Amino acid sequence: MPIILENVSFFYSKNTPLETAALKDVNLRIEKGEFVGILGEKGAGKSTLIKLFNGLLRPDSGKVTVDELAPSSKEVKRRIGMVFQQAADQLFCRTVYEEIAFGPLNFGYSKKETEERVFEALEAVSFDRSMLLRDPFSLSGGEMQRVALAGALALRPEYLVLDEPITGLDPGGKKEILDTLKKIKDQGTAVITVTHNLKGFFPLLERIVLIREGRISFQGSRKEYLETENVPLPPVTSMMRELKARGVPVNPAIFTVEEALEEILRVKSLLEKEKAEK
Amino acid sequence: MIRFENVSYNYPDGTPALRNINMGIRKGEYIGIIGKNGSGKSTMSLHLNGLLRPQKGKVMVRGMDTGDFSKLQGIRKIVGIVFQNPETQFVGRTVEEDLAFGPENLCLPPMEIRRRVNRALAETGLEKYRYHSPKSLSGGQGQCVALAGVLAMEPECLVFDEVTSMLDPDSGKTVLERVKRLHEKGKTIVYITHNLEELHAADRIIVMDRGRIVLEGKPENVLSDPSLRALGLTPPSLIELAEHLKNHGVAVPWEKTSCPSSFAEEICRLFLKM
Repeated sequence: MPIILENVSFFYSKNTPLETAALKDVNLRIEKGEFVGILGEKGAGKSTLIKLFNGLLRPDSGKVTVDELAPSSKEVKRRIGMVFQQAADQLFCRTVYEEIAFGPLNFGYSKKETEERVFEALEAVSFDRSMLLRDPFSLSGGEMQRVALAGALALRPEYLVLDEPITGLDPGGKKEILDTLKKIKDQGTAVITVTHNLKGFFPLLERIVLIREGRISFQGSRKEYLETENVPLPPVTSMMRELKARGVPVNPAIFTVEEALEEILRVKSLLEKEKAEK
Repeated sequence: MIRFENVSYNYPDGTPALRNINMGIRKGEYIGIIGKNGSGKSTMSLHLNGLLRPQKGKVMVRGMDTGDFSKLQGIRKIVGIVFQNPETQFVGRTVEEDLAFGPENLCLPPMEIRRRVNRALAETGLEKYRYHSPKSLSGGQGQCVALAGVLAMEPECLVFDEVTSMLDPDSGKTVLERVKRLHEKGKTIVYITHNLEELHAADRIIVMDRGRIVLEGKPENVLSDPSLRALGLTPPSLIELAEHLKNHGVAVPWEKTSCPSSFAEEICRLFLKM
């Protein structure tokens, strides 16, 4: 039972002179347990799209359902956990414990049940219990991001939706979050992330959705993505494509430095062999 | 033009942020400062125009000590800083007003303020947003407003602190192009980042770790230095590829590693020669 968007359009400032279409006729299906990356430039409609999932925004036309429920229902708020880019904006409690317990308490879980969930969520983001009494605002950016993540996980969501979770973090902080997300996904939760950090997320993504000017301009696997024209690519892949275009017989569908190295050396020894035969 | 002499600085909780830093920045130089979060980069940048003052040692800007309150206004006319989150620096209701804020505070005559605002708008391509609220603009445009605000002060030295980290790659490139152009016009540039892909054009790179300068030199040496990963930094992918290829007898010269097409062209040329 997936998240389904059918012919969804969304306008900002509708019926005013400032009316702008953020999403046009979007059809999308997100299955349970998937790892999906939503890519696109600033202003393409990525963040608008995810806010439709749990009813933070309502479509002007078309329909959104989550496991056949309407996004405005309370159950959907539990099934979809949201973490936004600036973790600091969604933290407001005095201690990390209160922060993570906020969701479960509001859903009416008992103190004991809540405590269990807090410990579970804390473990999921690889914090130990000494963290619980810390002031969330005294933490580093990466740590705050993990507290926000734990807050969302404490409701045991089916879908975890994130908006640019690693933007602005250093490589160490990025890796912490990526490792955590991989673990969460391996435990069966679907992870849907908006990102323009292709480099960090690429190896984790099972499906890529590219949004351009409010429309889905590509969706498919990593392999299909690397073989598609006009999509944002890391420098190594662009370089391999250029090589191919100049007649060097490389397979340009690579993503990492290691893959590129292997491919260039393969072609090099091929060319050397040809020459020796001549 | 700017000199750090044995500068140390501790955070309020006692953790050292800068430990005995000595360095100099020459007029017209383009310097990159890199290091992971918490390595002291930003603390260093805040010392460049006296927003922070060293607890030990001193920072001299064109012969003026940043520890001397009476010199601060003079120093800030010379060194301007653009930060990571532009929206936290907006003060005006319109872009125009926002840009005028700095020059007004220098008590310049109205005609001069007008001239500077117009010039800063033109240089950053923001004329059409003159009467927009800075808060209504996109991330990339907002970063331009912050830059224009600093340009209106007409400083000789511009400091950029992680200005692209919140932007998408295309807006990031635009900002970087702008920085390059300012350098070509003779401005001194200090560019702080943890995206090493951005530093190809720098004259010199300083690598910080735990409050110390651990590596310093020309980009071609620093960006291909094997110790970068151990310092929590990711080398630019094409430079890394070039290093690996060199070990396998394929030598791509440094100048060709700045963009995918020159890199591919070079490989092609090498393969044809075989």
